[in-house]
Amino acid sequence: MTMAEGLQSDEFAATAARAVTACANLDVREQAQKLAGDGLLGVIANEEVGGLALPLGFAVPVIAAAHAGLLGFPLLETVLVGRLLQSSLTRLAAAIVSGETLATIAWQGEAAAERDGGALVLSGTVARAPCAAKVDYVVVRMDAGAAALIPTDAEGVVVEEAAGLDLTVPEHVVRLEKVEIPVGSMLPASTWDMLSSDANVLRAAAILGSAEACLALAQEHASTRRQFGHALSYNQAIRHALARQKLGLESIRHAITRSLTGDGGPLQRDAAFLAAASYGSSISEGALQIHGGMGFTWDVPVHRHLRRIRTLQAQGDASGLISAFGRRYVSEVAPFAETGA
Amino acid sequence: MSVLEAVSTQAGAGESLTGEAYRDAMRRWLHTNLPAGFRSDSAAFAPPTLQQSVAWEAAMYRAGLTGITWPQAYGGHGRSLREHLIANQEIGRLAMPESVNSIGKELAGPIILAVGTEEQKRRFLPAILEMRNIWCQGFSEPEAGSDLAGLRTRATRNGEGWRINGQKIWTSGAYRSQRCLVLARTGPLEDRHRGLAMFAVPLDAKGVRVRTIKSIDGRESFCEVFFDDVEVAQADAIGAPDEGWAAAIRVLEIERATNRMYRAWRFENELRHLISACKADPVLSQMVDDRHSAVRLGEVAVEIEVLKAHVETAVEALVNGDKIGARGSLAKLYWSESHQRFAALALELLQQASLPQLAAIKVARRRFEAIYLQARAETIYAGTTEIQLGIIADRILQLSRGK
Repeated sequence: MTMAEGLQSDEFAATAARAVTACANLDVREQAQKLAGDGLLGVIANEEVGGLALPLGFAVPVIAAAHAGLLGFPLLETVLVGRLLQSSLTRLAAAIVSGETLATIAWQGEAAAERDGGALVLSGTVARAPCAAKVDYVVVRMDAGAAALIPTDAEGVVVEEAAGLDLTVPEHVVRLEKVEIPVGSMLPASTWDMLSSDANVLRAAAILGSAEACLALAQEHASTRRQFGHALSYNQAIRHALARQKLGLESIRHAITRSLTGDGGPLQRDAAFLAAASYGSSISEGALQIHGGMGFTWDVPVHRHLRRIRTLQAQGDASGLISAFGRRYVSEVAPFAETGA
Repeated sequence: MSVLEAVSTQAGAGESLTGEAYRDAMRRWLHTNLPAGFRSDSAAFAPPTLQQSVAWEAAMYRAGLTGITWPQAYGGHGRSLREHLIANQEIGRLAMPESVNSIGKELAGPIILAVGTEEQKRRFLPAILEMRNIWCQGFSEPEAGSDLAGLRTRATRNGEGWRINGQKIWTSGAYRSQRCLVLARTGPLEDRHRGLAMFAVPLDAKGVRVRTIKSIDGRESFCEVFFDDVEVAQADAIGAPDEGWAAAIRVLEIERATNRMYRAWRFENELRHLISACKADPVLSQMVDDRHSAVRLGEVAVEIEVLKAHVETAVEALVNGDKIGARGSLAKLYWSESHQRFAALALELLQQASLPQLAAIKVARRRFEAIYLQARAETIYAGTTEIQLGIIADRILQLSRGK
């Protein structure tokens, strides 16, 4: 029996939920230690770097629980970078999986590289890098789908705060001003596509976690808040609104499940993320609406989830992806001909 | 190949096969045998007559494409729900006419399997699959549409049998059916869901009158059915009073999640047809290349993928012995509303085709104008959107109705 067969993903969700609670009020490095101690940073990394070598599906409940609990740590990026580096930079991957070293990914933009002897010189601006101000390394996209690993303390790296919605894991902009890195820090072409495809599944999971939390909050509020002599949930308009949110939530869940089956490829993964981006926004916005004026307050956490969902939507470039999704579909269909219809 | 030739060839195409080999066999049989004139994405399309539909569906049955999960003792193929899914994926990939006996295959048959007597199973089930008996569904009434607990058609004891009086409405295909699955009240109206019984009423019985109703697509498919002192034998009562209805609810829950399982793949066939027609037209070919249309078509494609996910995960859940419960309402709500959005987009695009109209556009317009109108019924039949939302709120979310 492999390790994957002996483990239940539900157990990971429960472990992750406990770890998230324990991470409250810890700084980012302390959180990394706590999460690593529970085996959550290396869920999909191989055993040589201290990981559990489990399939991507096992990271889904972990990421969902982290987002449901508003974990202030770039867990999605850490889980992916640990596995990304496991073959080429084993020691660093092990440090990431053990929580000693922190890493993130800049999801927007691309850096340009010039060769300078045995080194590469990188320039450009990349953005949407969660928690970049507090980590040791950032992975950035390069030409032709390659990627590069850059130490954030390298000369020429400027990490700036960025305007962004997410309060829990704030995003940063990273300016690269002739940053010199060893050629070995360049990750091969196709790295980015693989990273993006896996990230889309985990983003969908993250949105699922947040959306579940929002629906639970909305449901609780609708059941306890009384107006006109009844609980809000007495009213059909409220019941139907919540039912639509539930439909969206289950649609995200099933799309993720399907993307992880044997038949699930890049198309199904993109679809899962796009469905999550669309329904997740509706669910969190709908939950805010159900709360009425209270939904617009700082203290009710719905807005924190809404902010995260919108940020995840942007990190995965849902607007660009839906267009590419449609174009890909159109390009694959031949013009009508009687025999080929 | 003619329908009659199709009927006589390659029957039992996939008898001993499993998995992908089974899929290949089903696909090959359908591609070889589906007459071009049955395909609504073909210029040669001519809606099949009732006789042609009956012959085609009988041939599909013999080829192993219907009755897939029914026990072999009652004429079924005794296969798993996973193979039912595979066959339906292949059925969906072709622009094939809808079954004229879906009520028999997807409602009456499963209910009889669940609560019918051994004699009923042997009498009714093979006849459904062999297309000797077409069924219709007599549930809705003028005063009881969504609220079936308010139905008034009455079944009273008549010696060993029953006498039925009342009226049903929105009874699709009653004019072409041999049997009607009638829900009737055996007790007082105040009993609501208690005292409801089900009967397999022969539509050639004395006292049955069928009147067709013209629908928005110009067809006369759905009907009113009147029952005036119709005598029904005890042998045609399906389950005991009360038991029949309770079983029907359980079956309906499963059926709502699994019926016409091919839908997502048929919608994909429709989307591919729409795009192929657009790409043949000088104006529309540019339009589908722009970002705006790409986004809208992308949204349709994502919804199709999500619908596939609803279906496939429901099948896996059932195969693993999980209860489907009210989950079928989620899938029904999802596909019906998605299809309406898609059909509206198809109309919008095709309306902008160049002149003179190309054959490809004529074919597509004929198909999508029909789909657009028919899709308006999809959020109404089998429980309206509002009923599905109510089921989700009541039974899945279990929202309090407390004062």
